[in-house]
Amino acid sequence: MCPAFGAIRNLLRMEDSMPIVISSGDGCLYGHTFVAHFYVANRPVFSPGVSSEIWAKGSMFDELKAMVHQMAEEHQPSIIPICSLCVSDTVGLPFDLLPKQIGNTEIIYVPLPAYSVHTHARAKDIVVDSLTWRLPAQRKARSGVNLIGEVFPSDPIKIDEVLRKIGTHVNTHVPGPKWTDYVAMVDGAINAPLHPFYSESVKRMKMKQGLPFIEGAPVGIDGTYTWITGVAEAMKLDAKTALSVATEEREKVKAAMADYPLQGLTMMVAGYEGHEFLLVRLLIEAGAKVPYLSTSVNTNPLARVEEAWLAERGCKVLYGANFDDEIGALTDHPYDVVIGTTPLCAHAKELGIPSIYYTNALATRSMMFAEGAADILQLVMQTYRAKDRYDKIARFFADGAKPVQTYSAWAPKIDLTTHLIANDAIVSHDAAVPKAGV
Amino acid sequence: MAITPPRTRASSELQSDVINTPIRKRVTDLDHAGGDTGAMQVFASLGDANVVLDGPVGCHVMPAVAVINYTDCIPYLQNVTCSELSETEVTIAGTLGALKEKVARSQVEGRQVFIVSTPVSELIGASWTTMEAHIKGSALFFDSHSLDDDEWKSRDRALLFLWEHRDHFVRPADVAPHPAKTKPRVNIIGPTYGNFNSYSDIAELKRLIAGIGAEINLIYPFESKAYDTPHLSDADATIVMYEEYGKSIAREIGLPTFSGPIGLEATTEFLEGLGKTLGLEAEVAAFISHEKKTTLAAWQDIWRSTHSDFFANSPIAIVAPPTYKDGLTKYLGDELGLPIVYSAYRTGPESTPSEEVRIALRELSPSPMMVFGSINERMILAQEKMPTRFSQCSFPGAVVRRATGTPFMGYAGAVWLLQLVCEILFDTLFANLPTSASPPVKATMPTAQLMTSASDAEAGAKGRNSVLSWTDEAKALTEKTLKRVPFFVRVSVNKKLRAEAESLARERGTDVDLAVIEEVTARYAPGR
Repeated sequence: MCPAFGAIRNLLRMEDSMPIVISSGDGCLYGHTFVAHFYVANRPVFSPGVSSEIWAKGSMFDELKAMVHQMAEEHQPSIIPICSLCVSDTVGLPFDLLPKQIGNTEIIYVPLPAYSVHTHARAKDIVVDSLTWRLPAQRKARSGVNLIGEVFPSDPIKIDEVLRKIGTHVNTHVPGPKWTDYVAMVDGAINAPLHPFYSESVKRMKMKQGLPFIEGAPVGIDGTYTWITGVAEAMKLDAKTALSVATEEREKVKAAMADYPLQGLTMMVAGYEGHEFLLVRLLIEAGAKVPYLSTSVNTNPLARVEEAWLAERGCKVLYGANFDDEIGALTDHPYDVVIGTTPLCAHAKELGIPSIYYTNALATRSMMFAEGAADILQLVMQTYRAKDRYDKIARFFADGAKPVQTYSAWAPKIDLTTHLIANDAIVSHDAAVPKAGV
Repeated sequence: MAITPPRTRASSELQSDVINTPIRKRVTDLDHAGGDTGAMQVFASLGDANVVLDGPVGCHVMPAVAVINYTDCIPYLQNVTCSELSETEVTIAGTLGALKEKVARSQVEGRQVFIVSTPVSELIGASWTTMEAHIKGSALFFDSHSLDDDEWKSRDRALLFLWEHRDHFVRPADVAPHPAKTKPRVNIIGPTYGNFNSYSDIAELKRLIAGIGAEINLIYPFESKAYDTPHLSDADATIVMYEEYGKSIAREIGLPTFSGPIGLEATTEFLEGLGKTLGLEAEVAAFISHEKKTTLAAWQDIWRSTHSDFFANSPIAIVAPPTYKDGLTKYLGDELGLPIVYSAYRTGPESTPSEEVRIALRELSPSPMMVFGSINERMILAQEKMPTRFSQCSFPGAVVRRATGTPFMGYAGAVWLLQLVCEILFDTLFANLPTSASPPVKATMPTAQLMTSASDAEAGAKGRNSVLSWTDEAKALTEKTLKRVPFFVRVSVNKKLRAEAESLARERGTDVDLAVIEEVTARYAPGR
């Protein structure tokens, strides 16, 4: 999926936002509209028309400006984010010349050239950054924790409950459905990016608004404990209380996880959300062997602690991974469960390995505290228990034979094209050349 | 000259020899028709039959005009009529006079007349012994046990009756003889009129049989004539399409018998079994292999896609006659892995009363994502305001299934059902998308003013946008409500519910308490 969609998705889910998507053509716009309407929102996606003539004439900016004015005047949304995708960002429209406000509406440029955004996660970071950058410097009085990152709807409530026990609270949570969710960030005392990819936005908020940030999330046994004590330390709250609350929550997680022992199982995780770090944490703590975490997130300072934790427990992190890397890794170990991207899961299913798509199955669940851990592990167990079903179907389509799980048969190291040629899916140029003398 | 029918009841393989339906003191929303309807639907399916129902006008127009228009999309059955009994016949004259006249008019050249008893004629004791002396020609009388047998048992008996009378039917001189055998041959027993989805299923079975290099002997009674009946024994195997009827005649024909297969595994077993019986093992293996690359390529693609990831968390319920309850349980439950959280037979001696089904469905937590059933279950879902999607897999209930591309049986059926399940998933997803703010919510003030209006934040208290506290009662009720929501869309519903509750609590300046949640959940019907 286009990395820029991570941003469009969160902007389109804001009820008082009316995003304009400057697409790179109808192919691009069709794709974004398609997935937006499937996953995100039952509402229109607006875009100025693009064509070579429009770009050549240079009339795009005038069209866009007129569109912005018309939408702001007619609908008065809180914000009109201008999502600039590959072509418009390459052409370089003078976005600075757009009005900053029209009436009560903020007009905010969100740069999303997919060729440099690379991942959904980065696009989400850009949204938080673009929106908060519009806000003035930090107010004087501050209180509470700003949660950053998509979580299960009940997670902020649960986090708030725990934070109150140690003497603070949740101030706001983004990405949220309202512009005020973002505006309220300047009231907070600390940012808590719950996923490690909000590195740019928290860095810039530190710079502009002087907001400090705390890494990690209350996920798993160690994670829950570390996060609670970390917040207390960063906010200079009562250490004794924090220690007792952190211990209590850690024991609850431990007890909940004990119901789902994963000892002896080997799992592979590949994701592009950023939370895959947290998931692997849970799996390892539950006893599973996870030799390999593939993430399309690029290496960044916020992930370093997580990475070190994982590395200590035998899990190698591959940043900026692609399909071929993942398929390659698939054959390194006899996996019992694969939690990954769509092409990887399709491949694993062909091999008869139970597998689920990270985004649809995992990203929508809570992972936090005891309830979250139990919920996630239950899903993983359930998936593993369906092994016979996956195996049977794989054998059926392999005409009764056990599908061969070798690197050469299923996943050529070179690239997808070679793989397709090897499977007669496409005719290679070499094969099409008639042999001499035939 | 009419032939005297056997005086003993035709024996049946179905559960009870006498009564196929449990004797109930109270019935709510019935799941089956009576014996007269079942028998009529069998006889009328024969291309050369005229059926005379010995009963009042309702016994004719209800099944053969009103209902058939929605089960089979046929305006009315042209080869069915009735004796139109009135007070005179019922109280004084008996049915004979009226019947005689109708039978005489129905006995046209080349048509076989079947007289079927109805509750009224059975009650007033219309006697075949008297009739046989008065009714000329070749008409056959079938005692449908309409007060006691349900439509399925009656279909079973009617088919057996046809086989027992096979020598009675005369092949007209101008009709070509039954075609000579060129390949191994297969009979298909069923469908008749009034069978759910039969047009597609018969098309798929034909495709499979042709695919393995066999040929159809007879599709009986639907695509046959009465005079074809003796040729049922010219086949090498018999497929009984439905569990509900047809086994008795198949047993008497005496050939190896197979059931209509629902699901990937059932179809493979079915084909391999047929191959062994017909000596077509190699052809069957080649056909299955070819199917994997053609018809089933769609199946494998969907299975490998993310669509199938949702199955384990998409509970379903099935309320249907055995063919569909057992077939769908095996395929959707065992093979695809959709949890079957409730299932019940609706027909035959084990039929579950509708009131029991209602209570069971209502109490399910979470609510199933979809229910396969009849209109009875559809009504329950609507009345109980359940967030559950419905798909029809049996009658009663108006549905159009005449295009032949929607089979439940065979490999094509496996693909179609898989597609159907995915479509229902998407439909559920769409109905629960978290945002539908169009036009967007209007801004009430400029951002600068928003910033300064947060005076409470200045004082170091909770900011205006803080997460609100929820009381334990409020959390408990929310959890209870959410548990009813199918898991697949629980996140979206949770988001909506939380947003509504918190906005109400903010308006009131309270925590999210029980009163708030009660108000929100009361006006809240997920999926609407």
